[in-house]
Amino acid sequence: MGFDRDSATEAAKRDLARRLGVSEGEVSVSGVTARDFPDMSLGAPVGDEASAMMIATGWEIDLKANGKTYEYRADKYQLRAKGFEGKNYLVKG
Amino acid sequence: MNRGNFLVHLMIAVVLVALAAVVGQIGRWRSMLKVQDTTPKKAAKITPVKVAELDGRPELLVRFKSGINYKQVAASLNDRVEDQIESVDGLVAIDDLDDADVEATVRQYQSMSELVDYAEPNFQIALDDSVDRNSRPAAFAPNPVGAPNDPLFSDQWALNNTGQNGGKANAHIDALKAWAKTQGSAEVVVAVLDTGVDYTHKDLAENMWIRPANLPEYTDGELGTIDDLHGFDANANAGDPMDDNGHGTHCAGIIGAEGNNGEGISGINWNVKIMPLKFLGRGGFGDVKDAIESINYAIQRKKAGVNLRVINASWGSTQRSKALEDAIKAASDAGILFVAAAGNSSTDNDRRAHYPSNYDLPNVLSVAALDRNDKLASFSNYGAKTVHVAAPGREITSTWLGDQYREASGTSMAAPQVAGIAALILASEPKLSMAKLRERIMKSADPIDTLTGKVVVGGRLNAAKALGE
Repeated sequence: MGFDRDSATEAAKRDLARRLGVSEGEVSVSGVTARDFPDMSLGAPVGDEASAMMIATGWEIDLKANGKTYEYRADKYQLRAKGFEGKNYLVKG
Repeated sequence: MNRGNFLVHLMIAVVLVALAAVVGQIGRWRSMLKVQDTTPKKAAKITPVKVAELDGRPELLVRFKSGINYKQVAASLNDRVEDQIESVDGLVAIDDLDDADVEATVRQYQSMSELVDYAEPNFQIALDDSVDRNSRPAAFAPNPVGAPNDPLFSDQWALNNTGQNGGKANAHIDALKAWAKTQGSAEVVVAVLDTGVDYTHKDLAENMWIRPANLPEYTDGELGTIDDLHGFDANANAGDPMDDNGHGTHCAGIIGAEGNNGEGISGINWNVKIMPLKFLGRGGFGDVKDAIESINYAIQRKKAGVNLRVINASWGSTQRSKALEDAIKAASDAGILFVAAAGNSSTDNDRRAHYPSNYDLPNVLSVAALDRNDKLASFSNYGAKTVHVAAPGREITSTWLGDQYREASGTSMAAPQVAGIAALILASEPKLSMAKLRERIMKSADPIDTLTGKVVVGGRLNAAKALGE
């Protein structure tokens, strides 16, 4: 099933809570912005992953927990954690 | 010279002059037919246009019965036999010197049934664009020479930029001029190494590669035998490369959506064969292994006799892979050009490499993206040493899943412009080597000042120049 703005945001909150070992209630949404990403890895490639070089439309989801901000990126096909502790993760896709 | 000899020579001279006139006219007709052949393809409607409205052309075609002195008959009606069609006994083209109503003149000849087999107006074969004119752009109507009747053609600024939608006129690959020479060939196979291709799309189906009946199914030592009727899916190790994303279908349309079929867009090649190689998944990303599997498949198919000459690679990453490099080198050894997107990070590939476009191999062509004003697209990577050419890549209309069309941007859209032109060149010069093909593409760019120091050739690709037009 694909994502929309709300389902991607909820999935990002769940993922961040899991990674940090906190409850979802401790994760807040500081902003969800529609934006273009440079490619179909949403500018957050994982490892040696190759991606299509087409501008992809999706959402940047900014979350806050433990006083820090975290960035997720999503489009209708996928959700990625961008630079979580220095690395990108494909959460779902 | 005695009178008898003089008459003999005079008669010979008259015959020779008449023969020369006939041969000349047949040559002119052949030229006309050649021109007409390059314009419409199969879907073009043909409407007979009486040439009565045209000056200096025979108005009638009449076939006389055998042995009839048709010149005498014509002269009696104040008509002139302009030409005899030698391959059809008794058939002549007649110029009505009175310029009377053509239908009446035809009826006049038809009434002489003891002399005439048939008579008909001389029709000029012409495209009927009366239906399509409504859907064509106004800017396009005055000069339709060589243009396809596809209704979205006016959106395809990359092929023919008239300055539409704020663009710069002639900031394009000059497809109309190129098509005067060739519109592609079904003998040329281009592999689209991507998310697959919707091979059922109504604007692509005719130009999709299908495994020939005499070519056995693909057999791989590890993967086993795969029914690769429509291509190859390395993502699923299967033979069905149906696109579930849309990106590959978009690239395929740029290269070879069927042209002049009254549907959607026109590809750079009106005729070509597109072989889908799927390795990117539904999200538009994939791994190097699957890319290598796909390239290996392409090479094996080339070795099995498929005339696969070009691979389009509208994807990439910043991770170098020697295995991928070796696979692309193997493609080079097999004579396959590898056209790669330069990347969309707005960065300099000379400093921060992007692969596979940065592999320094004899078959790799790296492509940057331009907008409709001949400016490097804001997202496009560049590189004075590592990005070879630039091509249109912003706001490109092409085919999409479900018989749809969509505008998309990226060096993904620029690479297939180059792959498409490569195929067009090969349609014209099938025996051109890969090295010469690559060289031809690079030497045919239109210089653009702002691209100096940005791409190797400092210019934008020009299909017409690449074809020597």
